[in-house]
Amino acid sequence: MNHIIELQRVWKRYDTGGEVVEALKDVDFHADPGEFVAVMGPSGSGKSTMLNVLGLLDTPTEGTVYLDGQDVTDLSDREMTVHRKRFIGFIFQSFHLIPTLSALENVEMPTLFGDDPTARDRATHLLERVGLGERLDHRPDQLSGGQKQRVAIARALINEPRILLADEPTGNLDRKTGRSVLDLFDEIRREDDVAVIAVTHDPQLGDYADRTVELIDGRIQ
Amino acid sequence: MSVLDDLFRRVPALLMARRNLSRNRIRSGLAVLGIIIGVLAIASLGMFGTTLRTGASQQLGDIGNEISVSPNFQEGIEELTERDVDEIRRAVTDGAVVPVRSESRLVSRGDRQTVTTVYGMENPGALYEAEQGRIPDRLRQGALVGSGTAGLLDVEPGNTISVDGRTYRVAAVLAEQGGISLVSPNNAVIVPVEDVNGTGYSQVVVSADSGQAANESAVAIREALNEREQRVSVFELQSITAGINEFFGILNAFLIGIGSISLVVAGVSILNVMLMSTIERRQEIGVLRAVGVQRGDVIRMILAEAGLLGVAGGVIGAILAVGAGVALNAFVLNDPLATFQAANLLYIVLAVGFGVGTSVLSGLYPAWKAANERPVEALRK
Ligand SMILES: Nc1ncnc2c1ncn2[C@@H]1O[C@H](COP(=O)(O)OP(=O)(O)OP(=O)(O)O)[C@@H](O)[C@H]1O
Ligand SMILES: [Mg+2]
Repeated sequence: MNHIIELQRVWKRYDTGGEVVEALKDVDFHADPGEFVAVMGPSGSGKSTMLNVLGLLDTPTEGTVYLDGQDVTDLSDREMTVHRKRFIGFIFQSFHLIPTLSALENVEMPTLFGDDPTARDRATHLLERVGLGERLDHRPDQLSGGQKQRVAIARALINEPRILLADEPTGNLDRKTGRSVLDLFDEIRREDDVAVIAVTHDPQLGDYADRTVELIDGRIQ
Repeated sequence: MSVLDDLFRRVPALLMARRNLSRNRIRSGLAVLGIIIGVLAIASLGMFGTTLRTGASQQLGDIGNEISVSPNFQEGIEELTERDVDEIRRAVTDGAVVPVRSESRLVSRGDRQTVTTVYGMENPGALYEAEQGRIPDRLRQGALVGSGTAGLLDVEPGNTISVDGRTYRVAAVLAEQGGISLVSPNNAVIVPVEDVNGTGYSQVVVSADSGQAANESAVAIREALNEREQRVSVFELQSITAGINEFFGILNAFLIGIGSISLVVAGVSILNVMLMSTIERRQEIGVLRAVGVQRGDVIRMILAEAGLLGVAGGVIGAILAVGAGVALNAFVLNDPLATFQAANLLYIVLAVGFGVGTSVLSGLYPAWKAANERPVEALRK
């Protein structure tokens, strides 16, 4: 088994005061290193929920999550945080950069709490790689949307993750900028052998993905 | 600058904290202002207490070193005899014994005259200092005039005055005694003891070298003279000074208590500021947690923020408090340097410690709240 991440028979239920919402219903899913998987589906179909479970931000109500072959379903908050830091990079639709930190500091941020002497060099290289070598000291409000997303991608890569999870990474970008971000994803998974799992409504993402998974009403089609 | 960078690299919570505080300067500034006021209140009220105490003990002078032995009227004893005085002399190992006779007499110089207390003393030099002239070791002739009487009669050393018709050369005019005194010389005239009628003494003043020696003397005198019958009553001024010290202790605690209230208010304002800022930064903290920052680090970051507010407020408050203390002491005691004494240092350290402590304590709840929010919840809009 060389899946870097895998969900087996995963259910996620939300108890919203009497009514139970089933956001994921018996989901089986996996991704391999270097693979680019697109997750599509209508609004409310459970895409973000699935990504959160994959990213160890949330635990399933039922079923098992395997990360690099290890059962990580019932880890403590502390262990989940350690695994997130080691294995997973997140990219959000609204970038979620820290407004008080420069581009470089934002990229370094995941390494900040912990002794990591090479972090600054890695962050500089990553920003150069995403084409922002000239913008190291700019704060997020001095950057365009596409530049912010590229900073966010650099941040997701700082700890050399095995999986990149992106929730609508091009949702706030115009078509052309979106394409450049997707080109970057493509390069990353090729060169770094990273599994990229991206939730999207963006049809052009289909051109880049090795495989598209469709979620409807919490079920994989 | 590089020292600061180094510090921030080593303690990233501080870097994040500092950046977060500079995000809303007015709000942070107001929170700091609260702490400044609290620290200033505690420190300066504490120092105010010290100043009052210092002022009071300056007023009191060395009276704690004096005791007064007087005949016990309740037992029908009207005056102290030579024998009593001898026994007192024997009982007192460390200090001067001054037997005193007194009566009221008409004192005049030229056409000015006044009725004053006339004390007969053999060795007034043990109790008083001269303003002009010299006090002889043994007063055998001549008179000493208190400053008030001297002003009234317009005398200076070398003049002659008449006390009930008897003339004296004035040997000295005594320095005015500001504080409380057992035998106040200010409005009196002091003449040789034989010149005052009577054989006994109305009181015996013992002037010891220290408060402790005074106390020991008092005990010894009671033992020697009151063994068979209660011949004398012994009055220690130390009981007054002890009472006054206790009073100032209570006053100080009260003042600091008032100051502490303002610090508690400041703490509430920090709690409010931190709570608001962590709620505003909910998503950011969610992102931190998502990318692998542990709960403990989030707590440290927010506590560092609260702590920085406290340290800033504490340092500024302490500086202002020293300024206030210098101004107060310059005004009340005419001695600005009186600010720099151990008791005041203690108040300042105490106030700054309270300030920082209050801030960090106020940061605890917001920190705990922020760290315990699940990142999934925080990241949803
Ligand atoms: N914390 C929660 N409490 C209750 N219900 C929830 C919670 N999170 C998600 N849901 C529900 O689960 C379902 C799936 O939500 P999810 O956010 O995964 O949808 P999505 O596919 O990402 O939608 P969109 O494309 O609009 O982002 C929705 O019906 C949503 O209301
Ligand atoms: Mg979603």
